Amino acid sequence: MRKSLVLLLVAVLSLVGISGLAKTKLIFAVHWSDYQVEGVKDEKENITVKGLRQYVEEYQKSNPDVEIEIQSVPFDDYLKRILISHTSGVIADVYVLYSLWGVQLVDSGILDQVPKDIVDKIKSNFVRAAVDGATIDKAIWGVPVEVDNYALIYNKKLLQEAGFNQPPKTWDELVAMAPKLTKKNPDGTIAQYGFAFLSGWDSAVVHPYLALLHSNGGKMFTDDFTECLLTSKEAVEALEAELKLFKNGATDPAASVWNFPAGKVAMMIMAPWYETSLKLGFKDQYEETVGVAPIPYLKKPATAGYTWFIAVDAASKNKKAAWDFIRWMTLQDAGGFTRMGELMAKNIGAIPPNKTDINYFKGELDDLYTSVFVKELENTYQEPNVAQGQEIKTILMREIIEAWNGRKTAEKALSDAKVQIDKILAEFYK
Amino acid sequence: MACKLFSSKRKSLERNTGAGYLFLAPALLFYSLFFIYPVIFSFIVSTKRWNMLVPLSRARNVGFSEYSYLLKDEMFLGVLTNTLIYALLTVSLTITIALILAVLINGAKLSVLWRFIYFAPVVTPQVAIGTIWGYLYRPNNGLLNSILRLFGMKPVYWLTDPNVALFSIIATAVWAGIGGSMLIITAGLKNIPQDYYDAAKIDGAGPFRQFFYITVPLLSPTLLFLTATGFIGAWQVFDLPFTMGRNAPARSVMTVSWYVYETAFQSLRMGRASAGAFLLFCIIFVFTLLILWIFKRGGIKGYE
Amino acid sequence: MNKKVTKIFLEILRYTIIVFGAFWMILPFFWLFSASLMTPQELLSDTPRWLPERPQWGNYLQVLKRVPIFTYYKNSVIVATSVTVLVILTSSMAGFAFAKLRFRGRRILFSFVLSTMMFPVFIFLIPVYYLMKLFGWLNSYLSLIVPFAVSGYGIFLLRQFVMTIPDELLDSARLDGAKEFRIYSTIILPLIKPALATLAILTFIGQWNSFLWPLIVTSNAQKLITLPVGISRLSLAFSTTETQHLILTALVYQVVPMVILFLYLQRYYVKGFVLSGFSNL
Repeated sequence: MRKSLVLLLVAVLSLVGISGLAKTKLIFAVHWSDYQVEGVKDEKENITVKGLRQYVEEYQKSNPDVEIEIQSVPFDDYLKRILISHTSGVIADVYVLYSLWGVQLVDSGILDQVPKDIVDKIKSNFVRAAVDGATIDKAIWGVPVEVDNYALIYNKKLLQEAGFNQPPKTWDELVAMAPKLTKKNPDGTIAQYGFAFLSGWDSAVVHPYLALLHSNGGKMFTDDFTECLLTSKEAVEALEAELKLFKNGATDPAASVWNFPAGKVAMMIMAPWYETSLKLGFKDQYEETVGVAPIPYLKKPATAGYTWFIAVDAASKNKKAAWDFIRWMTLQDAGGFTRMGELMAKNIGAIPPNKTDINYFKGELDDLYTSVFVKELENTYQEPNVAQGQEIKTILMREIIEAWNGRKTAEKALSDAKVQIDKILAEFYK
Repeated sequence: MACKLFSSKRKSLERNTGAGYLFLAPALLFYSLFFIYPVIFSFIVSTKRWNMLVPLSRARNVGFSEYSYLLKDEMFLGVLTNTLIYALLTVSLTITIALILAVLINGAKLSVLWRFIYFAPVVTPQVAIGTIWGYLYRPNNGLLNSILRLFGMKPVYWLTDPNVALFSIIATAVWAGIGGSMLIITAGLKNIPQDYYDAAKIDGAGPFRQFFYITVPLLSPTLLFLTATGFIGAWQVFDLPFTMGRNAPARSVMTVSWYVYETAFQSLRMGRASAGAFLLFCIIFVFTLLILWIFKRGGIKGYE
Repeated sequence: MNKKVTKIFLEILRYTIIVFGAFWMILPFFWLFSASLMTPQELLSDTPRWLPERPQWGNYLQVLKRVPIFTYYKNSVIVATSVTVLVILTSSMAGFAFAKLRFRGRRILFSFVLSTMMFPVFIFLIPVYYLMKLFGWLNSYLSLIVPFAVSGYGIFLLRQFVMTIPDELLDSARLDGAKEFRIYSTIILPLIKPALATLAILTFIGQWNSFLWPLIVTSNAQKLITLPVGISRLSLAFSTTETQHLILTALVYQVVPMVILFLYLQRYYVKGFVLSGFSNL
């Protein structure tokens, strides 16, 4: 009895081994949602917009020796899942990664070096902000697949009601306009916000601040990351610029950008991914209500950005197959565009970082919403790829919120942030 | 005499030792794998600087420096204070209210219905709870502020005012916790022999006397259980503050578990996070002993 | 006469409190059902809505189309039921031992059981995942069930309830020569039914709603995806407006089985157990 069981086991194992030899299996980890992975279907279950699954199937058809398994985990838990399984040696071959996580992954030797031909193509074909995002310690570590930045979204109708036909161009104009767009309840609470800051997680609070910081000619770190520059005059002024809106009553810490579709927010700073929500919220009123403009500037036009890139695990057993797939997906010409570009522009609704795609998908990208973001790419400053980026960002977020609540002055908040951040920098950059 | 007592005690000890361990065997086997091993692992991690990406063997040894870092860290101490306030208020309010309601509902008409309704928050998903309490707590047209306005009072920024946010979260936690505690108290009430009440009635004791002289003392093992596990859980609270307190200044609502979580999976400092977890363990352990001691001094048999 | 007035007054007070509290308790539950029938626009509206203008029953069909909800049901039922059975079994055995058996190291072991509840869950994720890999369980239900098979909470709860059973009752059984296992199965278990029902409900619900661990384990075993993890796949990275109404509808699918379970186990409370027969032993 026992003997036959052992025999059976051996047979099964060898079968698994043989099939393993016959097919190269790639595991592809992404943070995308169900729609983005499975595609959008109509009433009759026909695919109307392709998802990642359909591209993968196409690739498998032309490369029958490769099998690709998609593992999607929602953004909130994505990094956690990678870390936990990684410690046990359960890895994915291909990852889509947030640029800020890249530094730790690269420093720990997790990512495979990008083949030379791919690096060359990235340098020549991709927008600068995205290349910066995938660059860590002067080397490129993956192919950028998505680039995001911020712009001013305003409610045309509310602006017109208050007698404004144009959105503000400079921050001072915005500060002057915002109180006139604000309506208060008898008890002093705000019923309609002249301006609302994005909040709720670290990037939401920090990115718009970084936009103002760059607009004011400042930056967050010295180039060698040995010192945090948040106590510079430019940095303090940038936060004070935000605080003006709290002082003149146009906003408060309870403001929520999510009330914009309800017509309760006149202006806000937002990212490209909010487009579909706005369309849903305003329905047929969308075109006449929603306006988009570059973020009003302090000294020069600037906005902040971040990047997602696709990379290969250094411990993968099938690195060559992985890079081949990435070449096919993100670089190879599929008729004037790349497949990843198509997925981004048509399904995910993000800006593809490949210049060819940006040209090809004019139709998708040149609408009233996304076009401004695309134009602003040239003014986009990628958030710096610094070690412990997430920890540093959280520290800065906390201090900004302290200032919003009037518990600290801009100067005090930023110098408190600097002390903590410099301590972290000292650990990693000496 | 003393000798006899002693020997009889010995005898009963011996009589049950084998059976005792036999009945505990599944649990002990389980704990050696799924508790002792992870705890030893985490203790080793807490003495290292480990970002979870390099193999643990290559992580730098830092001794107990993360422990001393935390004990000097303003943020960690602030977070401990928040959690202590949360635990004290949530546990005491939840148990008191649940006890009163359980007694009121026990034997009431439609008790099945009431019990279900009070239990509803336990089965209602976090998203729905968060949305509704978000509505209630809205500064502008939220229900609570509308009520305050009726009385001519100033509106409150329930979830963003650093002096208020923690207490708003506690109110929600109490609301969400009543159902579960009520269920356990009800199970305890069902264990109290009815003839105690019958006897009390004959002696002319009213409902209040019955409550304090029969219900509360006879429920003491249940109440001990609720207090001890309530505090153990409250010290580790994560979900509610994490989802409701995101727009409040973090120092005013952050809890220890939240801090541990963030340190581990956002700052990638698993060593420091593990050290935080061990410090939290020590605090909860001492705190629990204290509760058991208080109950024992109050003459309540529960822990011996 | 006066006494009767007080009594009526107390009864009115009693029901007023019960009904008032009930209103607050049921509010989110009610809203969930109502919201599951709303359009995305209605959910976005600034003034909270308590009822949809026109119920969107189609939401329920759409969820069925978008996600394989019955596969998720199957997985969740298998996991939650297995864990509940295991927890009931291990907790009642250990609870009985701690409450009624005398043995060396009892107090220390009980403190140990309490201490297992005192660590934040986050530090267990990595080592337990490693164990699952080591045992080769990552592609099986075992990885979702076994790590939850014993509960310190359950042991403590049942110990407290077993303690309330009079020793004399057990001693008389012992005189009859009943072995400890028979005492456990024929006397203890029937006597603590309300507590067992409570533990079963709480354990089942905990597992039914459990998210983080199933998410991590099933991310490379998609056929094992449980209900909450499956529902989370409906949401987008930051903004959930497009699918919010479907998520709420899916949550109704998640809630209903628990409501049924609760109502089913209620009967153990209604009957309850009356110890009166033993009080004069």
